[in-house]
Amino acid sequence: MADLTQNEKRLLATLEKEKKADAPHIAAVMGATPEAVVQWAHLAQDKGLVSVERIATTELVYTDEGKSYAQDGLPETQLLRFILPGTQLADLQNHAAFKIGFGQLRKKGLIKVEGTSVAKVPETSTDADEAALRNPIAADPKTKELIKRGILQECETIRNVIAITPPGLALAQQGLDLREETGTLTRDQILSGSWKTANLRRYDITKLPKKAYPGKVHPYQRIIGEMREILLDMGFTELYGSIIQQSYWNFDALFQPQDHPAREMQDTFYLKETLPLPKGYEKVKAMHISGGDTSSTGWGGSWKEEKAEQCVLRTHTTSLSIQYLAQNPNPPVKAFAVGRVYRRETIDTTHLAEFEQLEGIVMDKDVNFGNLLGILREFYNRMGFESVRFKPSYYPYTEPSLDAEVYVDGIGWIEMGGAGVFREEVTAPFGVKYPVLAWGLGVSRIAMLRLGLKDLRLLHKSDVAFLRETPAYRKSRGGV
Amino acid sequence: MAVITLPYKYLERLTRTDKKTILDKVPLIGSDVERIEEDHADVEFFPDRPDLFSPEGVARAMRGFLGIETGLPAYPVKPSGIKFTIDPALAEIRPVLGAAVIRGVSFDDESIQSIMSLQESLHWAVGRGRSKVAIGIHDMDTVKPPFHYIASRPSRGFIPLDFKEKMTMDEILEKHPKGRDYAKLVKDFPLYPLIVDDDDHVLSFPPIINGERTRVTIDTKNILLDTTGTDKRAVSVAVNIICTAMAEAGATIESVEIGGVQTPTLAPVERVVSVPECAKILGIHLTPQSMAVLLEKMRYGATPEGADRVRVQVPCYRADIMHDWDIFEDVAIAYGYENLESKPPATFTVGKPSPVQFFAEVTRECFTGLGYLEVMPFTLTSEDVLYTKMQRTESPGVLHVMHPISIDNTVVRTEFLPLMLEFLTLNRHRELPQRLFSVGDVVRDCTTHQQAAGVSTHPDADFSEAYALADAVLHELSIAYTVKESADPAFIDGRRADIIAGGKTIGVFGEIHPGVLTAFELEHPVAAFEFDLRAVPGYPGL
Repeated sequence: MADLTQNEKRLLATLEKEKKADAPHIAAVMGATPEAVVQWAHLAQDKGLVSVERIATTELVYTDEGKSYAQDGLPETQLLRFILPGTQLADLQNHAAFKIGFGQLRKKGLIKVEGTSVAKVPETSTDADEAALRNPIAADPKTKELIKRGILQECETIRNVIAITPPGLALAQQGLDLREETGTLTRDQILSGSWKTANLRRYDITKLPKKAYPGKVHPYQRIIGEMREILLDMGFTELYGSIIQQSYWNFDALFQPQDHPAREMQDTFYLKETLPLPKGYEKVKAMHISGGDTSSTGWGGSWKEEKAEQCVLRTHTTSLSIQYLAQNPNPPVKAFAVGRVYRRETIDTTHLAEFEQLEGIVMDKDVNFGNLLGILREFYNRMGFESVRFKPSYYPYTEPSLDAEVYVDGIGWIEMGGAGVFREEVTAPFGVKYPVLAWGLGVSRIAMLRLGLKDLRLLHKSDVAFLRETPAYRKSRGGV
Repeated sequence: MAVITLPYKYLERLTRTDKKTILDKVPLIGSDVERIEEDHADVEFFPDRPDLFSPEGVARAMRGFLGIETGLPAYPVKPSGIKFTIDPALAEIRPVLGAAVIRGVSFDDESIQSIMSLQESLHWAVGRGRSKVAIGIHDMDTVKPPFHYIASRPSRGFIPLDFKEKMTMDEILEKHPKGRDYAKLVKDFPLYPLIVDDDDHVLSFPPIINGERTRVTIDTKNILLDTTGTDKRAVSVAVNIICTAMAEAGATIESVEIGGVQTPTLAPVERVVSVPECAKILGIHLTPQSMAVLLEKMRYGATPEGADRVRVQVPCYRADIMHDWDIFEDVAIAYGYENLESKPPATFTVGKPSPVQFFAEVTRECFTGLGYLEVMPFTLTSEDVLYTKMQRTESPGVLHVMHPISIDNTVVRTEFLPLMLEFLTLNRHRELPQRLFSVGDVVRDCTTHQQAAGVSTHPDADFSEAYALADAVLHELSIAYTVKESADPAFIDGRRADIIAGGKTIGVFGEIHPGVLTAFELEHPVAAFEFDLRAVPGYPGL
């Protein structure tokens, strides 16, 4: 038996005595309004404890106009009373009831107009009409006429007759707890101990209350956080640095030739600001021109200081890695950074002009290309991607280079990021004597997979509903 | 990236194996198979390997990789007896010339298309949009040697390729589609580069357009290749790549005399590399013999030398070999990335978060604890959002990007609140209350630092809510602060406060001005707060 509210119980208790009655009567007994009683009765009816019979009856009632006629007589009756032998039509016209009454008198043939005077037709009267007005009978044609004239109207009244059903009666006879219900438990009830006898209202546990929305970190930030944690666990030091970088650190220090297409205005956001070159930049310059003291030939051609001084919005976080190496040229170095990077791309659903990049470096005496594969495999495994493979690739500042791919069920192999050993042309000018393993990956690619996003822009121009609905924790299956 | 069309029949004939074997293995030398069609595949190669930008080049590499034909490919060159003169006036304009004679070609429509697309790919990858290198290919039997590379008056005329009328070079720069595309490379010089034959017929107006006279057709038997540019090495690589590709297709190559020197030689470059160094970097076991075998697979000439060296002959078409490690990468590719042992390095290190990120995390904890939802707005925005809509004057430290992609992305954000209000606009139709926060980078002058901001909107949002939020967050971050009446026009007068800490204004809070609300098309009051994280005691100096 479903739980009953206090009011349903009171209704049942009342009906135990009354058995069957209409709502106003029960309402009077219970000291409630008939509307409330009907509402409670419907709830109890859903549980099979009472029945509610809805009886509609039609009554004839006076309209406002009808009410005055019931008192003063129909307009035609009023005029008849006024007509005396020799009454002039003009006099009759001055009577208040003339407008309606005169037509009726003519229609019913109760008067005769002779020249300027009016006279009653003998042996006639409005008595039958008046009787119909006072005791209307729905079937009476006279009554129907009065309805048509808007003097009487049909009015539907509803009666709700409420009766207890046998199960309801059985329940009531078992005895009902009719103590008053407590909604919110009060301090007084707790302190006084009256809660022990209090009747705590039971809630309908199937009914969801108004939603509560927790404050949360952004689902994308959560993924970034997961990656940070993995790398911190793997013993990496986190780097942070400026969004604004000199071309020198963003490109030249990474042995990217000054005429490289990626350095052009179409691909990189330039600023009109410049910054002076750091001490020792000549080594980088020599590397570009002739390969410095290494086995490299360099790029040849010229290298212009002005180009290197120009500020850009960093195109990768590798600019932070190389500055960190320049400051920490001695092994071991294990560092990473996650940060916003910029490419001058036309923005659409899968391309943004700014996006997060994660980048890591390892520099140590005996590290090798195989170790780089090992680090990447470990990282992607920890991200939940069980199958990882590597293939040759090309990046201007690494040699050898590779791309890492992970296998995602239902999609296949997906390219996740690039990696390689920093070229000697990159490391030598900064006195770094050992191999530097470096890798980078686009964080948003994983976010798109995990969050099932079709449009990358939603990461940054988010719908609050998306943020509210995306759970803080979701079981990852194979990394997504 | 260069996407190369590989017709199966041609590729199979050149590689001497079936297409399935080729397509299965071609990614292992560094490529992505983009499309597999009925009669051809489109494969993308990396920009450092322009020698792979033709079916001939791919076939040459795959024959080696598959073990069909290994070692250095031989490209004999004999002198053609043809001379090329260079006008000294070109020294400041476009000084470098490379040329070759290619005899006995047999073209069909497809192979003409293939050589044209190799030419275009080289213009892009090696020529930097023709500035560094531009290539011209001519039917040599239409002109008479010797040839002359001269600096000519712009008023000189000839019939450019694809046109019927004679045009002056200035007209070409204005009217010819190629002229318009590349005019910027020459138009500032008083004289333009021009290649003519001994009868003064124009072959080419480098780097813009060839003459119609020397158009290459399926009847062409002999080719004159001209390559001009600003960089000697790049010009030479382009000549070598085209000549060796044509030689792979069956042509014979002859040299031309330029300034008393026979060019091209198509001779390899020698390097002696260390076997232990290579083994150490790759993390594999190598002997001079095993390394030589791997290198021969990659089409190098390789001879073991002593106990720990290999003498390597680098083919003339390998533009990318600048350093010994470039050769080591090819050893890794020949060895197979899938055969490398992947093992994380052994050295013990301790992880350490960046202090900046640490404080950002604490800030996130404060805001989320107060029921605020994190948003991550773009860092690029506009003056309209940052200042005009906010009724604020432009921050003197705002950075303007030089060539913005759109009017919505002209500056780097200097604060968060305007972007937070933009978020509220975006979410007007969503259930209230909305409480959002953000923490991250802002930039003023050339300095990046972190700020955090929170906004709350609902019918009862007011100054007190902003104050309570600010007080809670600042307290949690141990920022000792005082407040003072603010003059920030983004807020309502009498309902705004500046946050002072360490004698500096470090933030602001209050009730957003109705004028600002209207500008952002918002209908409910907004309580707002923003502060500079550098005010946190112990925050790292940047």
